[in-house]
Amino acid sequence: MRPFDYVEPRSVDEAVALLSRGGERTRLLAGGTDLIPRLRRRQWRIDRLIGLRRIDGLRDLTLEDGVLAIGAGVTLEELAASTTVSDVCPLLAEAARLMASPQVRALATIGGNLCHASPAADLAPPLLCLNATLRAIGPSGGRDIPIGEFFTGPGRSALRDGELLVQVRVPAVEGRGVYLKFSPRRAMDLAVVGVACFRSHGVATVAVGAAAPTPLRVPASPDEAAARCSPIDDLRASAEYRREMVRVLTRRALEIVP
Amino acid sequence: MTLIGQRIPKLDAADKATGRSRYIQDLRLPGLLEARVLRSTVPHGRIVSVDVSRAREAPGVFAVLASQDIPPKRYGYAKDTTALKGDRVRRIGDEIAAVAAVDADAAAEALDLIRFEIEPLPAVFDPERTLDPGAPLVHEDRGSNLVRTHDYAHGRVEEGFARAAHVVEGTFRLPAQAHGCLGPAGAVAEWDARGRLTLHDPTQIPFLIQRDLADTLGIPPSDLRIIQPTIAGGFGARLDLYPHEIISALLARAAGRPVRLAMDREEDFATDPVRPRTVVRMRTAAAADGALLAREADVIVDCGAYVSWGAVTPIVMMHTMGSFYRVPHVKYRARTVYTNTAPTGAFRGFGNPEITFAIESQMDELAARIGIDPVEMRLRNANQPGEVTPQGSRITSCGMKECLEAVRERMPPPGTRPPGGRPLLRAAGENLVASATQTETESPSSPAICPAGRIEGTEPARSPLRRGIGVAAVFHVGGGARIYRSDGCGAMVKIDDFGKATVVVGATDIGQGMETVAAQMAAEELGVPLEAVRIAPADTDVRPWDVGVHASRTTFIAGNAVRAAAKDAKRQIEAARTALGLPPDTPYDKVVRSEHFRDQGSLVIGRAYFDPPNAMVDAENKGNVSAAYVFGAHAAEVEVDVETGQVRVLRVVAAHDVGRAINPMYVEGQIEGGVMQGIGYALLEEVILREGGMSNPNFLDYRMPGPQDMPSIETVIVETNDPSGPFGAKGIGEPPLVPVAAAIANAVANATGVRLRELPMTPERVWRALRAWADVEAPGEICGKE
Repeated sequence: MRPFDYVEPRSVDEAVALLSRGGERTRLLAGGTDLIPRLRRRQWRIDRLIGLRRIDGLRDLTLEDGVLAIGAGVTLEELAASTTVSDVCPLLAEAARLMASPQVRALATIGGNLCHASPAADLAPPLLCLNATLRAIGPSGGRDIPIGEFFTGPGRSALRDGELLVQVRVPAVEGRGVYLKFSPRRAMDLAVVGVACFRSHGVATVAVGAAAPTPLRVPASPDEAAARCSPIDDLRASAEYRREMVRVLTRRALEIVP
Repeated sequence: MTLIGQRIPKLDAADKATGRSRYIQDLRLPGLLEARVLRSTVPHGRIVSVDVSRAREAPGVFAVLASQDIPPKRYGYAKDTTALKGDRVRRIGDEIAAVAAVDADAAAEALDLIRFEIEPLPAVFDPERTLDPGAPLVHEDRGSNLVRTHDYAHGRVEEGFARAAHVVEGTFRLPAQAHGCLGPAGAVAEWDARGRLTLHDPTQIPFLIQRDLADTLGIPPSDLRIIQPTIAGGFGARLDLYPHEIISALLARAAGRPVRLAMDREEDFATDPVRPRTVVRMRTAAAADGALLAREADVIVDCGAYVSWGAVTPIVMMHTMGSFYRVPHVKYRARTVYTNTAPTGAFRGFGNPEITFAIESQMDELAARIGIDPVEMRLRNANQPGEVTPQGSRITSCGMKECLEAVRERMPPPGTRPPGGRPLLRAAGENLVASATQTETESPSSPAICPAGRIEGTEPARSPLRRGIGVAAVFHVGGGARIYRSDGCGAMVKIDDFGKATVVVGATDIGQGMETVAAQMAAEELGVPLEAVRIAPADTDVRPWDVGVHASRTTFIAGNAVRAAAKDAKRQIEAARTALGLPPDTPYDKVVRSEHFRDQGSLVIGRAYFDPPNAMVDAENKGNVSAAYVFGAHAAEVEVDVETGQVRVLRVVAAHDVGRAINPMYVEGQIEGGVMQGIGYALLEEVILREGGMSNPNFLDYRMPGPQDMPSIETVIVETNDPSGPFGAKGIGEPPLVPVAAAIANAVANATGVRLRELPMTPERVWRALRAWADVEAPGEICGKE
């Protein structure tokens, strides 16, 4: 790892100021489970790292006015273990439990998982089904981004320069959901394909991961879901197989959540 | 006997569990430098220029070496490479230059300052294409990519096939498997002022390294001392001399300071001497009653860009071809070939998992054709005690029949078992020790939905899950293996003034428990408690010769040596008692003190050298390479999701003939670990190559099974008391990995009717096989039996 500055702002405003002044070679540190390996591999060269752990509120997790407000710094382990999350949206808790290992879950955050904008991010399909909103704060103030507009490409999101994701807001809606993560290994693995399904008042919503350049809402029909996604060939699976697994898992998800 | 057969924890268990064991990465020496290596990013090319001048000026840098700075000494099995490459690179990852600096970051920064130009050349990656006319030559001066051909035959194979009632034929493709040792490779080199080198190196072959490295460096072997730190995984990965060992020594000499060259995880993967990619074309013939008549195989083994132990795996395959089951007519040819990929090496089983996959797959295919039970098919052809195989293997003890019967008894076919899973353990035969180990996976009745969305508990007709059972057996060496002139090991047992014994033995503990087993045997012979025995440190200046830890030989060979040395010490004690007129119950400490606290006194040091009564193969590749052979059988129960292709192993029963279990806990550990690595080989692990370089050099994409992927494992220890083994023991290190993939493939065929001849059986590969079968044969009858 090359040397760099490390700063720990005490407030979101201070962090935003540091971030907007910083430019390309300034990065944010939340859990660090993706960033630190990249730095160790010398994949990214940075001048400054902004640690977010001292900012009040980023790790709050509250239910207010029918909305589950999850601070961007809430860890996967907290999501998985929170009784509030399990009560209000068990689908999200279930997805968090299927991710990585206990050691990584203790560090990795919901904000990091979403901002990294991996097509295979496990939290994205459930949040797409649940119509979550992402609250960002930047130099010109705050704004709410519907999750359907957040992912713009592999590793790319709708966040503008100097903007910081501070909260994930999930409306508490009655319904039943399931997240089917398909991977060769039963733990410590990425999804070859992930399918989330949420059915509320008879209407099913389906979203997929690792089956398109971004996590994606798809029609609640196995064939149409398979047709809508646009997977790639990579060393984890072929596009053809991924498309077929979208079909199989969508059908199973719809059967599990009748 | 009191200590033999006891479940004694390893001597270093507490140190390991509490973080006290020191690995190569933990070593601290005054002035220690860290080294990094510049590696080729092209698979084949001519090195036009390498300019290290700017790197030499970089802050914190003590030494920079390129090929022109080192002795141009070729090394290796075929003397086909140098530690830093001069004119050619022949694979992605080839070493071009190396830096030693105050820390790893400074060394890495300096690497970026090295300017080099490589002119790319055409490359060849596919072992099945590398012998084609016009294929690029990996070593131009050799004129061919063929490294060598191994031929073996007994009987008249065509006659066997002509008389056969049933013949099965197929091509089996086996992937490169990486060791994934918990500790990545590394070495620390330090020279003293007199020019003597000490290498701290977690190698499996200290005494061979001593000779080979000294030769490469141009120093007398006696000027090289190898100290082995705690070894964080071997499995064959540390069985040769590797570039990092040579480079660390050269850098330390150039820098005048100790140097550590430790790989990071990606480097460890990318330079790992993997189990070679292997292609086996095999056909097997049987008579109508199931008796095997003939077996023929044509094998290609990928050596990679340079020859290491991967090129020797055909010799082990040859023994399995010639001696596993009673086959009157056998013909075998193996060709080892160069490709522009990482050199392949030794990996637990050393060719045997590869050839056994083909043999045991075809045993099931034949059983299905004949219409007999797969276990019955194997029993009909099983090796017998006292048999001399046509290949020349002199089988002494043999528990093959007992192992097969043990797994049959414990794994009856689905539908005949009591509801709710495992049958009760039945009363074991006299020579069976049964133990159920490993945590239970969830029973079929636990969660309704698994992570992958398998729906359990739905009516069978709609369920995509198919269950099946498969069996496979194993034949392996268990009493040494003479592939080198010496198969020996020395030992000394010193009794000190306080009545304690120090065992000095040449063998290496790579986590298998050698040191504890040696202590158990010495204590047993001396009649002292285990606490009265300690093991001398792993240092070539102290320990006597041993050829290395490989071939499942250590318990048998080192065990016999330690046992004999302890007997010698005891004899000296008894002789001293008599000579000094001491009463026969005089304790050891008093005898020893009385013996040397006198005029013309002497010490009590027992010594022994054991080289087993085996032989290297002759010109026809025949001969008894091992002083004993081991046998085993596994049964695996799997569940296949026919819509996703995912295979889950639900349960494994593994029975092994170990002669005698000196420490049953370690035998179980070896069996469980072997099953784990075998499941990885069968279902998950594969070095994926892109332009000959590993594109999945991390634990995320190189998937080894995790705890949740493991089935319930039931181990059965079969004791046959080998006449030449120490206390009757034979080897068990490698055999448990060998039959796993075949047992699982047989179970998948049993579950789905589809036979996979290519590993690993990843979900996508199984899905494609199922789909191809369904397309060709009968759509909608995907669960039909073969």
